[in-house]
Amino acid sequence: MDKENKILIASSTKNLSKVRDFVSNIAVLSGIDPEIVNQITLAVDEACTNIIKYSHKYDETKFIEIKTHANRRKFAIKISYKGEGFNPNNVPTPNMIEYFKNYKRGGLGIPMIRKFITKIEYKHSNPDNNLLTLIRVL
Amino acid sequence: MEEFNIRELSNDKVKIVYLEGFLDAHTSPILENALTKLLDQKSYNIVINFKDLSYISSAGLGVFMAFIEQSRENGGDIKLCEMSKKIFNIFDMLGFPLLFEIYENETKAVEKFNS
Repeated sequence: MDKENKILIASSTKNLSKVRDFVSNIAVLSGIDPEIVNQITLAVDEACTNIIKYSHKYDETKFIEIKTHANRRKFAIKISYKGEGFNPNNVPTPNMIEYFKNYKRGGLGIPMIRKFITKIEYKHSNPDNNLLTLIRVL
Repeated sequence: MEEFNIRELSNDKVKIVYLEGFLDAHTSPILENALTKLLDQKSYNIVINFKDLSYISSAGLGVFMAFIEQSRENGGDIKLCEMSKKIFNIFDMLGFPLLFEIYENETKAVEKFNS
């Protein structure tokens, strides 16, 4: 049976450390390999950063809820937030050679999530509820 | 509360910036301000020492992308050194060694500016 834990944070980058501590503590307690714990934690940081920056536009009166579900086969993180939705699956992966040639900046959060997460699911429901699920198969 | 700190050291013609702690979307403006100041002072030869950096997210990577072009256009460079395996893997995974010189130790990175 899945074990569920959750945290609710105000949508601010100053709470990213709380998110990382929460996710990594649960992942460690679930017996996940430390390297994978780091990868999952970074992916959740990137997802929350995008929500704070693009969906909530740094409005600290908004909230993000993060739930973890762990079992022996997978570790899932469900991130719920209200506001402008954003489906990471619709974002193309940049060509890194072009990226470096043009000295681009930004846009690396989603490629990072893709490297570390097995499956990304996004669901929008009316009026403005968004649920982003990151699943790492173990 | 996780923290991020910067220390700077001036060599003859190289500025060495030591990073410590957690570099994420919240703390990256601290590094951004420090590098803006260095480039404003026309210090274009910069070595970043990652020895005491525990964590980096894409917001931190973005800071280096923001300044590398300006530094090189002025005949300088931003060279990176002393990364833990965990930090190096993040740079490497996204292909950063294609654009940045990354050295195992600070002496080698500094010497490159003198050679």
